[in-house]
Amino acid sequence: MKHARLWVGFISLSLLFSAACTSKPKEELPNTLRLAQRGKVKGLDPIYADDTYAGEEVSRAYEGLLQFHYLKRPYVLIPALAEAMPEVSKDRLTFTFKIKKGVLFHDDASFKDTGGKGRELTAEDFVYSFKRLADPKLISTGWWLLDGKIAGLNEWRQDAQKKGVADYAAPVSGLKASDRYTLEIKLLSRAPSFLYSLAMPFTSVVAREAVESYGKDFLNHAVGTGPFRLMEFSSNSRLIWAKNPTYRQETYPSEGEQGDKEAGLLADAGQPLPRADRIEVQVYVEDQPMWLTFLSGKLDLSAIPKDNFQQAITPGKELSRDLSEQGVRLVKSPMLDVTHYTFNMSDPVVGKNKYLRQAMSLVYDSGPLIELFYNGRALAAQGPIPPGLSGHDPKFRNPYRQFNIGKAKELMVKAGYPGGQGLPPLTYITTAGSTERQMTEYAVRVFDTIGVKLQIEAFSWPEFQQAVRNRKGQIWSFAWNADYPDAENFLQLFYSKNASPGPNDSNYSNPEYDRLYEKSLGLPDGAERTAVYRQMVNLLVEDCPWIFGVHRIAFGLVQPWVKNYKRSDFHGASKYYRVEREK
Amino acid sequence: MFAYVVRKLLNTIPTLLGVWIVIFVLFNVIGGDPTYIMLGKHATPELIADVRAEYGYDQPMLKQFFRYLGETVTFNWGDSRATRQPIATMIHDGLGPSLTLTVPAFLVTTVFSVLMGLLVAYFRGRWIDRIVVIGCVIGMSVPMLAFILFGQYFLAYKMGLFPIHGFDPAWPERFHHILLPALIWVVVSLGYNVRFYRTALVEEVGQDYIRTARAKGLGELPVFLKHVLKNGMVPILTNIVIEIPMLVLGSFLLESFFGIPGIGGITIAAINNSDFPVIRAMTTLVAMLFIAGNLATDILYTLVDPRVRLK
Amino acid sequence: MTANVGRSLWADAWLRLWRDRLAMASLCVIVLYSVVALLALAGWIAPWKEVVGGSYQPPSGDSLATFFGTDLFGRSVFYKTIHGTRIAMSVGLVSSLISVPIGVVLGAVAGYFGKWVDDVVVWLYTTLSSIPNIMLLIAIAFVLGKGIFSIYIALGVTAWVSLARVIRGEFIKHKEREYVVAAEGLGAGHFSRIVKHILPNVFHFVIIHLSIQFMAAIKAEVILSFLGLGVQGQPSWGVMIDDAKLELARGVWWQLAGATFGMFFVVLAFNVLGDALRDALDPKVK
Repeated sequence: MKHARLWVGFISLSLLFSAACTSKPKEELPNTLRLAQRGKVKGLDPIYADDTYAGEEVSRAYEGLLQFHYLKRPYVLIPALAEAMPEVSKDRLTFTFKIKKGVLFHDDASFKDTGGKGRELTAEDFVYSFKRLADPKLISTGWWLLDGKIAGLNEWRQDAQKKGVADYAAPVSGLKASDRYTLEIKLLSRAPSFLYSLAMPFTSVVAREAVESYGKDFLNHAVGTGPFRLMEFSSNSRLIWAKNPTYRQETYPSEGEQGDKEAGLLADAGQPLPRADRIEVQVYVEDQPMWLTFLSGKLDLSAIPKDNFQQAITPGKELSRDLSEQGVRLVKSPMLDVTHYTFNMSDPVVGKNKYLRQAMSLVYDSGPLIELFYNGRALAAQGPIPPGLSGHDPKFRNPYRQFNIGKAKELMVKAGYPGGQGLPPLTYITTAGSTERQMTEYAVRVFDTIGVKLQIEAFSWPEFQQAVRNRKGQIWSFAWNADYPDAENFLQLFYSKNASPGPNDSNYSNPEYDRLYEKSLGLPDGAERTAVYRQMVNLLVEDCPWIFGVHRIAFGLVQPWVKNYKRSDFHGASKYYRVEREK
Repeated sequence: MFAYVVRKLLNTIPTLLGVWIVIFVLFNVIGGDPTYIMLGKHATPELIADVRAEYGYDQPMLKQFFRYLGETVTFNWGDSRATRQPIATMIHDGLGPSLTLTVPAFLVTTVFSVLMGLLVAYFRGRWIDRIVVIGCVIGMSVPMLAFILFGQYFLAYKMGLFPIHGFDPAWPERFHHILLPALIWVVVSLGYNVRFYRTALVEEVGQDYIRTARAKGLGELPVFLKHVLKNGMVPILTNIVIEIPMLVLGSFLLESFFGIPGIGGITIAAINNSDFPVIRAMTTLVAMLFIAGNLATDILYTLVDPRVRLK
Repeated sequence: MTANVGRSLWADAWLRLWRDRLAMASLCVIVLYSVVALLALAGWIAPWKEVVGGSYQPPSGDSLATFFGTDLFGRSVFYKTIHGTRIAMSVGLVSSLISVPIGVVLGAVAGYFGKWVDDVVVWLYTTLSSIPNIMLLIAIAFVLGKGIFSIYIALGVTAWVSLARVIRGEFIKHKEREYVVAAEGLGAGHFSRIVKHILPNVFHFVIIHLSIQFMAAIKAEVILSFLGLGVQGQPSWGVMIDDAKLELARGVWWQLAGATFGMFFVVLAFNVLGDALRDALDPKVK
């Protein structure tokens, strides 16, 4: 009988446990966006916004001088905090910005002079914010944007390094607030991409009072001029944003690209921004809970996780019936990126043997790759420049990226390793995630067909980067996402002066390429520059420092109640979204 | 008594020192320096040198060791390399959610498994014992991941019994969100615990004094309740005390699948980012808690049973 | 009389084990796993690298290879499970080869000599056991780099602690016993007393330790692989379960099932055998 009593205890305990279950859901505001981040948001200081999670969150609270037009494609720069696009001097080195008047920072306790009311933005704030990016003590991950670009800024930085502390009062000749609303930036040399960097989260404007009063804890606060104010921040769980009541007079755009009107994207034209009242961001480290939350209607936008693809999309790449009956919309758009295998060009084996690289490029079949790992949502890359950027040639076919095992075997003979004989296993370095492990297995199988063996070394992400920067390993897989919509951002990856630890991770070095690259910097967008780009791409195709992989296509799902959604490769689009639920 | 406590306290000093040395050797001497995580995709040699200097990786080992000791004693471990957040704050913020999950789950698990352990120890060797042992092994071999994925899909999404994901810091809503993860924790750890308690109790059954008691003519049930239970409590309590410091670590998997912002999630992120300072701080903290827990048990035992002191 | 305490204990234990059918069945299972592991090591069975069907083909009874379905690349999950046995058994074996000598030597020396030797050994293992095992495993796997080699080492250097503790306790008891004292009287040196006289009498603890160690090692491999610190370039149960994290969402359950299936029987067998060994070898429990 003893055990009968035990069972009674067991059952009553479990009842007790489930009783706590019944608690009521909170009431929701009708115009609340519920968004997902697929990784931890490490902090909200703009100078560290180097990953997409931090970048997106930072852009809700902070703004820079410029931004990208929400609807127009290809991407067009338009003013944000600047009154208009800058006045450019004859030598194209000096940019004069007029700052919008009457723009207020978020109300925050750190504004002691105004009793917690946000004060007006001035040109000095930009000078301060740019100097922060250069402050050696802060170790910003965005310094490369301005490194060697603005007159006097590198000297200011060196001075701070010497003294051990940065002097924000010291002037920088190329960075001047000539009056309350005028900012003058002087460049050292022509840089066509410079204006783009003013639209990136790194160069957003911060308030000195907030930086100084929060000190180290500044990255857990957000005091900017942006459309949303931070209500709650938990870096690995959730963020809550509310509409900024003192937001400047900005309105929804009234023109877009073709088809936007039909898609209903212009219905809100001229309406004040932000369109949503509140944003709740939930961090999802794993895909399954995010996907299930979306399916249960508690998440407004979602990417389709790779392994849920069959469930959501038909073989014809259209939305499955279940979802389309719920009114869910599918948004397909190519991403500005390129995945690739990098050969270490400073390695004596792979770096000095063009035929070996070409042979490997020829057998790296992108067909099965795209099916197995991207569910068909990717384009085989022929060169470094993704579609959507001027300089991309849709008709171009890379002769070494058309799968041809016979030709590859011939090249292996030319390389001096017939059938792979005499070739030591190549050191293949990779990160240790589950998908990466599967992709590595794919590479092992593919290269094995021409007798190239791989020796796998797996690392965590930072260790992997360290290995790449130190030129360890002979081949590795990587992807590059555009920092700004200009082919130059991709072509600089092969410029010899950017070699490791810079972004040129292959350590490719070709004087002819360098000459063409330098020439292209001075050219405006147009036929002449496109011709130079083509020559550069041809050099890369022949030398084969990379095996070009794919350009990915983003498949996003949108709940029926979300209005004004258009995918953007850049941050800061959430101020345009609106939620309209049926009552 | 007082002298005994003082002696015990002094005894922990070499252990503490040992723990510090082992951790320091692992992370600082062999582990190397994790500079790159801070610098992202545009690192330069100049920046790398800056970071080394800033965090003292260019200093002699002994100096680094004392720096580490200082940090440990003051619980001020500096900043995470990956997020730049102060590690002490991260741990402080993560403790609440982790304990919200692990403490109730641990209590339920312990009560259940002690009861089950008693039951099967009493019926040892009979069919119910065999069934429970096999059940335990099934529980031990099915990976927690399977429970999580199925629980999340069927119980939370399909049947709507629990929230799918998320954590609400407010009371008592936070318990609403941990129900499913806690349930999974209980199911997964039941196997190991029941088996452990069964073994501990069955071992008591074989002791001489039990045989003496039986020889004196006491019935099986009274012997069991009076002697086995009383003496079996010592290994049971020891196991419980050993597990308590581990509760602080939370659960890697449960936290990342259910979006609970606890220590487990922080640790796993630190592992993925080679965020050595965070892993080091976490290891140090749990080891110190463990030592404190052992000390507490020792002292508690002597309070309960003064004879232990003589051993 | 004292000299054959050891032998009669072993014979007695063997007899008791022999009578326990469940324990014998477990022993057979373990032997079977070991044989499979050896055959897989030799490459005679389970050609897991070969493509046997399409990507993610569900289990079918058509052939042995597709019995558990196929993985992303169309390879046989059944063969991968078999190959995983090799990793699991080797992790158990190699880590035991590391931990048993360390545990026995340190435990014996500490228990036998006592005094400062004992203090040092006790200090060493209290220190190691104060650091949570999982953190220690992670730290070691980190420092040594990823791969099966560091799993061996990490498990080996963490697992000796419990064995050393038990052996030390037994040596303290046994060194005072009359048979040891008698041996000393007959002129046996320290080494001879430790190895020839006491060790055979406490050796059953090593056997019990082994059965637990194997099980712990198999499970630890799974956890480490899951944290991305595991085996690279070949299938193991941990890697298969890690794959399942991605695949389950699309309804591919057979890789998880395969690994769990592989793990279940060997863990069960070690469990049952471990219990039976304890019952058979530990004279207290009768």
